Amino acid sequence: MAEIPAHLPHRYPFLLVDRILEREPGQRVVAEKLVTAGEPYLQGHFPDRPLVPGALLVEMLAQAGGFLEAESLHGAGIFLAGIQDARFRTPAFPGDRLRLEVRLAGAFGGLMKLAGTITCEGQEVCTASLLVKRL
Amino acid sequence: MSDLKLRVKHMIIERLKLEGMTPDQIDDAAPLFGDGLGLDSIDALELVLGIEQVFGVKIEDEAAGLQAFKSVQALTDFIAEHAKA
Repeated sequence: MAEIPAHLPHRYPFLLVDRILEREPGQRVVAEKLVTAGEPYLQGHFPDRPLVPGALLVEMLAQAGGFLEAESLHGAGIFLAGIQDARFRTPAFPGDRLRLEVRLAGAFGGLMKLAGTITCEGQEVCTASLLVKRL
Repeated sequence: MSDLKLRVKHMIIERLKLEGMTPDQIDDAAPLFGDGLGLDSIDALELVLGIEQVFGVKIEDEAAGLQAFKSVQALTDFIAEHAKA
């Protein structure tokens, strides 16, 4: 856990990765995010039915993807350049243990394409391809 | 039009979602990036992945890309040359 703030510049309330389970830099990362009822965005999304916004599921994949980089992202010029084929198959609720898996699908000219999948107890929650630009 | 060139054009149209475009609308000699088809760096990555998937040819680095992406003709030649090896 201590390695996460050292690697990612994101902070509360926008640090959306809790644990790294597996990591092969440049190839594949498996991370975990535990959704709790205390997440600030759940207070408004939605008051009667808290569920994780799809856009934040994609952000979770992007943050997990940051661990494909061998070096810390503090001060690094790495940005999200595109999101392709995002699909949200089932909602994520407070109490869910989300497994974030990201693998490198290809790279060319300073751009990387990452294939991301979020599952919860074996069930697919979200799939998306992310394009990441390194300046 | 050679078979391979036609397949290359179909791959470009499909991979880059150039909806409504037909192979004969793509000039063999026009540059793929900049003034020609007007593709950008994200399109370049998509093409690199498409070429690897469809033709089994890897574009290893930007120098190879510079040569291969000069035009559809150059790309067809590049694939023909490297697919044999």
